[in-house]
Amino acid sequence: MLPAVLSILISFTPPIDTLPPAYAKAFKESVPLEKLAAPVSVLLPAELKTEGVVSQGRLSALMPSLLIPEYGASLTSTIYLRGVGSRMENPSMGLYVDGIPIMDKNAYDFDWTGIRFAALMRGPQATLYGRNSMSGTLVLQSAAPDGEKHMNAYAEAGLARTLRAGVTASFGRHVLTAGFKHNAGWVRNEYKDKLCDPYNGLSLRWKWEQEPSGKLRWSNSLFATLSKEGGFAYGLYEDGILHPVSYNGEGSYRRLSVIDGVGFHYNGDSFTLEGTGSLQVLSDDMRMDQDYTPENIFTLQQAQNSATGTAEVILRSRKEHWQPSTGVFTFYRFNRMHAPVTFGRAGIENLILDNANRNIPEEIGYLSIPDDNLLIASDFGIHTYCAALFHESVFPLGRWRLTAGLRLDYEGGVMDYDCLASLHYRFVPTMKADKAFQVPYRGTLTHSSGLQVLPKFSALFEASGDVSLFGSVSKGYRAGGFNTQIFSDILQSQTMTALMKDLGVYLDNLPSSVGAENTRYKPESAWNFETGVRLVKENFRAEATLYYMDVRNQQLTVFPPGKSTGRMMTNAGASRSLGAEAELDWRPGAFHFHASYSWCDARFVSYNDGNHDYSGNRIPYVPAHTAFASAAWRHSFTTVSLNLSASVRAYGPLCWDETGLLQEPVHVRPEARIALSFSKWEIWLRGENLTGRTGRNFYFKSVGREFFSLERPCNILLGISINY
Amino acid sequence: MKTNKLFLALTALALLACNKKQPEVIVPQAADYKGTVTVMYQGQPYDNENIEVNFTPSEDGKTASITIFKIRFVPQMPVTIDVTIPNVEITSTPTEVLLTCDEVIPQAMGGDFPRYKVTNLTGVIKNGAMDFSLNFGDVPTSFTGHQLLK
Repeated sequence: MLPAVLSILISFTPPIDTLPPAYAKAFKESVPLEKLAAPVSVLLPAELKTEGVVSQGRLSALMPSLLIPEYGASLTSTIYLRGVGSRMENPSMGLYVDGIPIMDKNAYDFDWTGIRFAALMRGPQATLYGRNSMSGTLVLQSAAPDGEKHMNAYAEAGLARTLRAGVTASFGRHVLTAGFKHNAGWVRNEYKDKLCDPYNGLSLRWKWEQEPSGKLRWSNSLFATLSKEGGFAYGLYEDGILHPVSYNGEGSYRRLSVIDGVGFHYNGDSFTLEGTGSLQVLSDDMRMDQDYTPENIFTLQQAQNSATGTAEVILRSRKEHWQPSTGVFTFYRFNRMHAPVTFGRAGIENLILDNANRNIPEEIGYLSIPDDNLLIASDFGIHTYCAALFHESVFPLGRWRLTAGLRLDYEGGVMDYDCLASLHYRFVPTMKADKAFQVPYRGTLTHSSGLQVLPKFSALFEASGDVSLFGSVSKGYRAGGFNTQIFSDILQSQTMTALMKDLGVYLDNLPSSVGAENTRYKPESAWNFETGVRLVKENFRAEATLYYMDVRNQQLTVFPPGKSTGRMMTNAGASRSLGAEAELDWRPGAFHFHASYSWCDARFVSYNDGNHDYSGNRIPYVPAHTAFASAAWRHSFTTVSLNLSASVRAYGPLCWDETGLLQEPVHVRPEARIALSFSKWEIWLRGENLTGRTGRNFYFKSVGREFFSLERPCNILLGISINY
Repeated sequence: MKTNKLFLALTALALLACNKKQPEVIVPQAADYKGTVTVMYQGQPYDNENIEVNFTPSEDGKTASITIFKIRFVPQMPVTIDVTIPNVEITSTPTEVLLTCDEVIPQAMGGDFPRYKVTNLTGVIKNGAMDFSLNFGDVPTSFTGHQLLK
């Protein structure tokens, strides 16, 4: 019955929008998206506007299996896709903007003003997109010059003094975009009695394209963002009660990111040659009260100055039954990181002296550190380099389209670390005066991901003109690296050991600690097996996928036991994700329906942290379900059209830790939008999270305490845009 | 003639007597020793095994400091400590070095450690071995060990 109804509806409706050529060039694939043997979610400009997708976080649940919780600050960018993801270090989802791979996760989260197209390819895309495209690749395309003069400007204002404004001007071979975003903040820091998460950001984008001949096309894309924000709105969770955010230290993040990419595309008679190169500079500074309490325990600064260069060349050949693509890719990145940890008086007492004096008999004496602050300076110089060779061949054979690919990827890194703890100490009663004491900790570490062999095999069968069946087996990987955030822990331990040795006192039970040599972590890899079906008929598009991912050397963020202050990435175990995804887009007449759903059962296959065996438990932070449904209706009057849309997005339940005991129920966030569109301009009113329910979206432990952050509450936004 | 012979014999005897060397006393040298420190705990001996002891004489060779590394005075002590006994009088003989100290405040944990005042220290270094006994406060303590070869 349902297929019959669908068939009737489909037959009476206009054709669905096809992907404009300007957006198709955002991809490396040599086949159209509709012929791709992988599930793809696509958002065109209209959907980006209707759904209010102004940053990556708004993609959560809108695209199946994807969750990007918005917490912390812009550098956080925690991405979970298909049960894979992590809070720290390398993301499991690759990001390409205008054909440029974004190499630093700290630059992932930016204002999408000027972005015209977003597509998420799920499953490993490592053969063509390389490192970190382990669970998928998000491809963004900004407005491209079309030779015409036109301009679009918009402004949107909402609660919490939210103000977003932007202008995109296209003229000749150029497109210029400028965006501004301000928000007064949502969460009050009760200790300081002020909002702790304000945001101010500017973005600038310049895109230039030229075709000096019919065969050659040059382009340049420059993108710069400057932002200053608060953040880290984490509340203490005690005895089942979530307390308000209340901390005394600074919580801020400043970032300047400049990315410039050049590209060329040469269209030969029987081949094409494409190349891209980019220079990516990021300078940021994060300040964090790392105990998130009113106590003066300890604070962290993490300031990075990094520069990355990337280059890629792809040679493609166009033959009827064989479409090979062969390419090379390389990048080099240098990151100078300054990450001092400062212990305040309470931190010195609680985290250092308590630990030390606990083991010293009272009759012998006790250790005293008279300093108000104890600085553990940590500076790092991290070099990362990679070279890759890849090939993918597509064989169109009648109704079959077979693809085989292989990427050989080598990545390595060198880290120079230079840490120094400086303090005064005195052992009472034997020492009559304070003694200045310094503990340097310096060295060099190297790591290598080894040669990663990343194969891919896929097949797509066109069962009919509308229905395609596809399946693939592919492997992806997430790069390894160095843990820098654990160095403060290492140095605390080194300092206490050196100090005790200086005193001639030796504890029987030294607190366990890792050394610098333990701060390397290996790449994580995943084999992905999936099969799917795609139906595209005029105004109807549906896709369903079943997948199984086998993840090895899983990178997990762990907290060393006890009152430790650091956190570190470790290759702690293996996991598997079993899931199903479905997406539907249907535009009958004046209506537009869109729905997506995913189910993911992501569990540890083996994970023992030394204290507990979590094998079989759910992977934390990964929602079991994501769902999105929207309905839009457009009615045109003489000079104006009315656009109504309503949507709901949901995700959950999920576990907050490896035990699976602390869980979060399903979050449901309804949204709505009403707009009046005139020929040149549009006004709208839209609401996000209309129920105002602020579910918990992040959990962690620090110094043995538990914390949560909350989702943003309801926001009502009034906007206007003008096109001319 | 008899007188001459007697004179010659006496002279030879005198020369012989002059050529016979006096036995030399041992010059104390800095050295590390390893052995067992035994402390009396509740009337029972408690052994600290594989304890290193450093012996460092002063420049004039009249005194020395003895540092006992990582000693534990009672089994329940959750820490071990280094203790230095300064101003130990040394007396060298041709065959041994004698150690004595009636009373001194040892040094530990960065300063004087009167709680374990050293009294009645006597000991000997002989043939590469060191033995001494003392009272740390009211804790009778002894060490016996051998020199570590460098």
